[in-house]
Amino acid sequence: MRFIFILGLVLLFGCSNDSDPTADKASFTRIFDNNKFNATYYPIDIKQTPDGGYLILGGRRLLNSNFSGIYLLKVDEYGGFVSEVEVDEELVAPIGPLMLANGTYYFFCMTNVGLQTQLISVNADGTLVDQVAVGNSYPAAAALDGNNFLLQSYDHVDKESVISVVSTSGAVSSTKAFSIGAGDAVEEPIIAHFLQTGRKLPFLVGKSGSAYYFNGFYNYTLSLSFTNLVADEPQGIVQGQQDDGGISQAVPLDGGKFALARFNFGDNYFLPSATLNSSGISSSTDLGGHSLPELTANARVQILRTTINARKVVLYASDTRSKQIALLGYDEATGALVGSKYLGFSNPFEVASLTPTSDGGLIVCGTTYVAGRFTRICLFKLSQEEVTKAFKGF
Amino acid sequence: MKFILSLALTVAISTTGFSQFKKKASNTLPKPKPSQQNKFLEKQWWLGFKAGTNFAQAKPIKSYTVMVPTKYAAGLNAKEYDSFSKTGSQATLEATFYYKGISFSVQPTYRHTRFTYFNQFRWYNTENSAETLELRYDQEQKIDYADFPLFIKYDILRDKLRPYVQVGIVYSMLINANKAVAISGTDYASGGTNQFANETLIVGAKDLYENYWGIAAGVGVDYNLGNVRLVLEGSYWKGMSNITNTKNRFGNDRLAGIGDVPDDLDLNNIIISAGVLFPMRFLSSNFKTLDR
Repeated sequence: MRFIFILGLVLLFGCSNDSDPTADKASFTRIFDNNKFNATYYPIDIKQTPDGGYLILGGRRLLNSNFSGIYLLKVDEYGGFVSEVEVDEELVAPIGPLMLANGTYYFFCMTNVGLQTQLISVNADGTLVDQVAVGNSYPAAAALDGNNFLLQSYDHVDKESVISVVSTSGAVSSTKAFSIGAGDAVEEPIIAHFLQTGRKLPFLVGKSGSAYYFNGFYNYTLSLSFTNLVADEPQGIVQGQQDDGGISQAVPLDGGKFALARFNFGDNYFLPSATLNSSGISSSTDLGGHSLPELTANARVQILRTTINARKVVLYASDTRSKQIALLGYDEATGALVGSKYLGFSNPFEVASLTPTSDGGLIVCGTTYVAGRFTRICLFKLSQEEVTKAFKGF
Repeated sequence: MKFILSLALTVAISTTGFSQFKKKASNTLPKPKPSQQNKFLEKQWWLGFKAGTNFAQAKPIKSYTVMVPTKYAAGLNAKEYDSFSKTGSQATLEATFYYKGISFSVQPTYRHTRFTYFNQFRWYNTENSAETLELRYDQEQKIDYADFPLFIKYDILRDKLRPYVQVGIVYSMLINANKAVAISGTDYASGGTNQFANETLIVGAKDLYENYWGIAAGVGVDYNLGNVRLVLEGSYWKGMSNITNTKNRFGNDRLAGIGDVPDDLDLNNIIISAGVLFPMRFLSSNFKTLDR
């Protein structure tokens, strides 16, 4: 009798560790590999789709163009491969984010030959739906604005940064262009950005209250400029240092504040709750901020506003010199650090995008270099428990 | 650790043995009659020590991978496990109650077990055969458990040489685990055939594994030598639950970073042990205990 009782206890405890689909969905790491030696794939943005899976917009190396090609990857809720689309080489230079409007995902790219901006629509399963011409050249940054899109593009003919409001049908309802300044030297880093021969520049566009803002070239300098899309000059300018300093990421918060990241001659600074002068001229170097010497020079930064354990948190993601992805969380109300987490090891990892998931977790999409050399897309899915533990505060 | 535990168990056994001798030295029991002797011999307590080697087999229940192929078959990267090829070791303290040919035995064991697997990757260019890289990841897991087996033994013969069979259940508690990953490969793209082997990466992996349970069956033979009993036995332990911590599968960034993640696994072992058992009940003052 005693033996049976003990056997029962052991069975009870032993069976509690069977395969766990919930755990499999909650937390995983994936690297999407292709065995082509000369293939390169990198992510731009990721969105969770209604089926629980993920849609990834990426770029790929083209052998016959200096621009990057377009790559779409559909992944299931477990991080398993579902499908991929290598979009025709006629379309190049995709930019994020993937913007959801009326149940369809949109992104901008341009034609390889005419350099004309195109608005591409995609289903949640990663299949292309439509392509409409927008007209501008060199799309640099985009954002969702209600059911419209904000687009920053570069006009290489008139050498202007162009801000436009674009509908889902590709119609431009309002637009304003700002001169980058005369001379080829100003344009050089912009073209190098698109041709991938130089540094990736942190182009941005967005809306804070009724004001539009863009991080782009204006008057010889990479500046965060505020515009009403009516006046010929920006109402407010946060100037950088030509292309050696400026804003690397900006996300509007409540009360006219911004979560900012800035760079200056290789150094990086985070400002979780910054007040910007949206009327008048100021300098980004005067903003101060938390110094992050662990990050790569002029690091790419992503900022996510989210709620963790009932607290509004501003989550910064960036690349470290040790080739990991660093996540640093700050309390949105106080700007105090609430935790950090580092992703990746062994092979190099770089962040591309992050987004909260429906299960309360977080998915971080990045680039890794398999065997130290093959550029591939990676995913880190963190469970709600992991996120809460990492950013619980001190 | 193994050595310390083995030493401690040996000392414990030795101490127990000496204490018996001391107690019995002052004992002046009368010599029992034959019928009383037979009755006395129907039951006995044995305490002893065993040690030996084990061979492990990790059997995948469900495979997991970090590397997800998008343009080639997943099977090309599949892990290949060894089977009962790596030797481990174990030390056991045995307490057995014998009654009329049947024994109930608890055998707490410290077990160090090892198993390995490898997987391979290949990147190539169909238009230029020189652009090829082959990598092989050899992974060795070393896991330490505290096992708590409960056996029922049946003595087939009851002579001086006593073969027996035993069946039981085992609950294994994870003590420690680590993992060594050796990466080697051939790079044809660097201007020649460059064969290389990177420095082995060794990481703590306790968080990746869990306690588990299993069933066991085995055969053995006891040999009564003087007042003690020598034991030689072999058992097969079959894991009945997953040894992997499913919630922490991807918890080790060092391993996930190089594309490794533990599968759901059953762990089976062949256990071979030899040892000595001491009787706890004596028949007379000269320490005779069994039918010698």
